[in-house]
Amino acid sequence: MPRAMQHQHPPAFFVRGPSPFARLVFFIALSLALMAIDSRLHYLTEVRQGFVALLHPLQLLANTPTNLYLDAKEYLVTHDTLMKDNRKLTKKVLEQGAELQRFRALETENAHLRSLLGTAQTLKQPAKLGEILHMGRDPFTHKVVVNLGARQNVEAGEAAVDEAGVIGQVTRVYPFSSEVTLITDKELAIPIQVERNGLRAIAFGHGRDTTIDLPYLPANVDIRKGDKLITSGIDGVYPIGLAVAEVTQIERNPDSPFAHIVAQPIAGIENHRQILLLSIPKAETPTGLTVETKNKPALTPTEHAPH
Amino acid sequence: MRPISLKSIYLSLLIALLLQMLPWAGFGLMLRPDFVLLVLLYWLLRSPQICNIGTAWLVGLVIDLATGSLFGQSALAYALTAFFALSYQRRLALFNTWQQSSYVFALLLLTQITIMILKLFAGGESPGLVYFLPSLSGILLWQFVIFSRIGIDSHAQKN
Repeated sequence: MPRAMQHQHPPAFFVRGPSPFARLVFFIALSLALMAIDSRLHYLTEVRQGFVALLHPLQLLANTPTNLYLDAKEYLVTHDTLMKDNRKLTKKVLEQGAELQRFRALETENAHLRSLLGTAQTLKQPAKLGEILHMGRDPFTHKVVVNLGARQNVEAGEAAVDEAGVIGQVTRVYPFSSEVTLITDKELAIPIQVERNGLRAIAFGHGRDTTIDLPYLPANVDIRKGDKLITSGIDGVYPIGLAVAEVTQIERNPDSPFAHIVAQPIAGIENHRQILLLSIPKAETPTGLTVETKNKPALTPTEHAPH
Repeated sequence: MRPISLKSIYLSLLIALLLQMLPWAGFGLMLRPDFVLLVLLYWLLRSPQICNIGTAWLVGLVIDLATGSLFGQSALAYALTAFFALSYQRRLALFNTWQQSSYVFALLLLTQITIMILKLFAGGESPGLVYFLPSLSGILLWQFVIFSRIGIDSHAQKN
């Protein structure tokens, strides 16, 4: 009897669950859904943040070999190079000290003039010194990860600069680290101004090379090779006047209404370990402005009413 | 043959992830093989009853999180690769070393092409031929698997 039953229902020779193709279809559907949710609906930010916080110890562990190597290299620096560096830095501090005194005087003068004119005060942007943990994982996006995160009050949108100029912008903030998109990334645009004539434009990263493009400028635009591009400060993220790039190549093609302008970033985009993150000025100016504009129409009727 | 425990699979995957997370930069980053995918392929081809498409998908998801790319991008590519890896897994014992290498190379390329297509859909720019360097370095690493005792061939012969 049991034998006959076995004959009727032979046990599966391979216990395998659903077929590989069914599994594949299921997981592909799941990934497509996840991609759609992540790219269009942005529901998964918290999940990502939590997970990256979990991965943080692993990241620190992965960084130890290079850190050890760098420490050893630092330790083995000769007395001679240290003395040289010290002399160079002292000289630089003296030079910059003189400039800083002039800058302070100008700043107070500027604040005074601005108050006389009644324009909004420029806001101070406190800076935080961060260290680059590693380059982005994907060699085809220009990103770096910095060791400051939400715990250190970093916010998405902050500007990242070094001593020479703008490096990029914080695009993602995790609890203990944050991701900075470099100005050479295709996704990042930065409002700039030509230093020589004040012409405003928007610069985009090129993506493949470490250069910056200035698209959408007419072919007859007044830009020359060697022109310095600085931040215009219109976005309210980057302070005014930070160096961004230097124009290296201009092509004026008669077929195209736009000039093809390529610029080379001034900041050492790929050489530093330390970078500064500038806090976003709190939205005092816009609210102040809206209050003023709200007050004005409210005032004018009362002024006009008696007449 | 010693039975393979789940622990050893996950431990090796974790070590591969650690290797991947080393602060690579410049040319090293361009050349860096996909360690996690290599380890995953090894387990897929060696013990498909434990390491399956689901495992590959999960590992891909972890990679997506670690790299900060779009959720599900690598997960999809890994699952697809796992499917093709498993579909010829039984014939692997008949392959000689060259056939096995080219098979694994094709799988590595498939993953990269899938990820590239997904990135292009998401608005990325088409990378140059340099993009495929990790597959090349990956297959060079795979030679260690072939020539060391942990090779999948030897396992098949023992059986």
